[in-house]
Amino acid sequence: MVENKELIKVVEETVSRDDVKYVVGYKRGTYGFQIKPAFAYSAKDAKEFFYSPLCAKNLATYPLLEEKLPLRRGEEAEHKKIGIVVKGCDSRAIIQIIQEKGLEREDVVLIGIPCKGVIDPKKIAKRFPKQSKFVDVEENNNDEYILEIGGTSHKIPKDELLSDVCKSCEYPNPLLYDILIGEAEEEFQPEHFNRVDELKEKTIEERWEYWEKHFQNCIRCYACREACPLCYCKTCMVDLLEPQWVRRSVNLSENTAWNVMRAFHLAGRCISCGECERACPVNIPLMELNKFVEKEVKEMFNYTAGLDTEEKPFLGSFRPDDPEDFIS
Amino acid sequence: MEQLTLPKEKLPELLGEIGSKFELIGPKEENGFLAFRKINDPKEVNLDILLSRVPPKSLIFQQTETLFTYAKGKDSKVQTPKIDESVRVIFGIRPCDARGYDIIDPVFMGKKEGDYIDPFYTKKRNRSILIGLSCNEPDTNCFCTSFDDSPANTKHVDILFTDIGDTYFVEVVTEKGEDLIKNLSKIFSKATEKESTIRKETERAAIKAISRKMNTEGTVEKLDKMFDHEFWVETARSCIGCGICTYLCPTCHCFDIQDESTLKLGGRVRVWDSCMYEEYTHHASGHNPRPSRMNRVRNRVYHKFNYFPKNDGIFGCTGCGRCIDYCPVNIDIIEVIDKVKEANI
Repeated sequence: MVENKELIKVVEETVSRDDVKYVVGYKRGTYGFQIKPAFAYSAKDAKEFFYSPLCAKNLATYPLLEEKLPLRRGEEAEHKKIGIVVKGCDSRAIIQIIQEKGLEREDVVLIGIPCKGVIDPKKIAKRFPKQSKFVDVEENNNDEYILEIGGTSHKIPKDELLSDVCKSCEYPNPLLYDILIGEAEEEFQPEHFNRVDELKEKTIEERWEYWEKHFQNCIRCYACREACPLCYCKTCMVDLLEPQWVRRSVNLSENTAWNVMRAFHLAGRCISCGECERACPVNIPLMELNKFVEKEVKEMFNYTAGLDTEEKPFLGSFRPDDPEDFIS
Repeated sequence: MEQLTLPKEKLPELLGEIGSKFELIGPKEENGFLAFRKINDPKEVNLDILLSRVPPKSLIFQQTETLFTYAKGKDSKVQTPKIDESVRVIFGIRPCDARGYDIIDPVFMGKKEGDYIDPFYTKKRNRSILIGLSCNEPDTNCFCTSFDDSPANTKHVDILFTDIGDTYFVEVVTEKGEDLIKNLSKIFSKATEKESTIRKETERAAIKAISRKMNTEGTVEKLDKMFDHEFWVETARSCIGCGICTYLCPTCHCFDIQDESTLKLGGRVRVWDSCMYEEYTHHASGHNPRPSRMNRVRNRVYHKFNYFPKNDGIFGCTGCGRCIDYCPVNIDIIEVIDKVKEANI
């Protein structure tokens, strides 16, 4: 359990440091089960910070969204740290970015939160529709979520609302942090990401039909890319015009190119936070692609992304003793 | 306005007949959400889910529109596609989404003589007959009433259906609607006084069920005075710059024009674009007049709540709530406008 009082205290202390620009965490949203990213620039902003199983959003994307605007004459660039509230997967995103030299370790102050898994916003909104006021959810020690709506208390088995990615999470505790709030969670036995297993059993034609059904709905809003902490290329290749790798026309062919390319570019980099799938407005099961690639990378090269800042990135490393069996 | 009724069990018959005579588009459930698609079998129509995920603006202002095609080589010729002008019926459109068309019509169809008229939009708009469906159970983030609209507004459709229990109350609003009804077999009955009362009560109950309200009074003037306000930096801090709010908006209508070619064939296409992208205002010179998220979020709010009212006398928002429903970081336009009103200037 994360005590909000302790969280607020830590955020206050962190933001009060001279070398910290701001801290990003979570605050209550405007309706239903929505949470919002919260930004504290001073100790008083920390009051609205909170943490609950609703806080799914991976905030690791924010330090990379910092805009380096042109400086005025005489102005100097600011070199201050950004504080981020991180769960297990979020900390792995930061590790992966540091590994790729997208960030320096000194750029961030990590406030670690031991995670017990987060609620899938789509599942809970379906279960309790039409909530015009914010509803918070707590987790008890019996693997149940407790929430109160209109004076009535509801107890829901955790399994029914838990995000699919969390069920297969191997690293609920932050792997990199400066301050840890509360006690580390006991490691639990992760399940397989069933959806990939189910997909693997299908024939290639069935699989193609399945993806065709989803990709034709893609509106190419690129919310999957923008929500992803690891999609931080300065210019994404779909935005390039010369050469234009993917056309702007929205049709099955180009949509497939985009979605497959996105998944490939995350090979050995995706840390399974599920942010892309949560953001997708047309319900494309993007984590099935990511998890598929993750599995291949693990089986062929025994590599897992986002574990160690000192490790070489997957595509930048070579090991003669790969467990791969396709070359003999 | 002619007032008729149609027993609910006759709806498939009606849709079947429309489908046999014209192209029929309707709301269909697909991958867990609603989409406007061509209806081949009346059974496919889903009227239980309130709003389609992507607004039906996509039927008229298509996400990808081919303006012309060409072939390379000696006998190359530029070919403009023939735009279908036969009647098409869009069934089950919600009043707010139909209002979205009215808001963007001046952009593509011109406001005064001499304005450019876009043939693609205009022909698709003119060929469409809108059969609206009142919303009896508005959703969490519906706020159409904040724009003097109603979940059972007849103003923006040709025919409006309202569910009044076992029957649909049918209002024939325009001449286009009358012509369509005349073309169909006589399965409608004249509405009674009592049914008309139930319809009004249904509308009143639906209006009451809308819990969210945007207070737009004085917004235009207030925005005039706060372009450089710190508020925009704060509001945009959490924005991740995806295009969801614009692509799912029934009134956002920005587009990009691109030439796409293969070795022998090519074409010019018009595709949706979004002011939320950094690239959107990126000049060839490298300069970007909207360099940060603050500029982009601010622009979107100004366009809807300041430029639109000034240019066209109408807010560029229908109150459908999609941008609130699907924003990954809960940037809530109602809250934004509330805060605009509270901001110290």
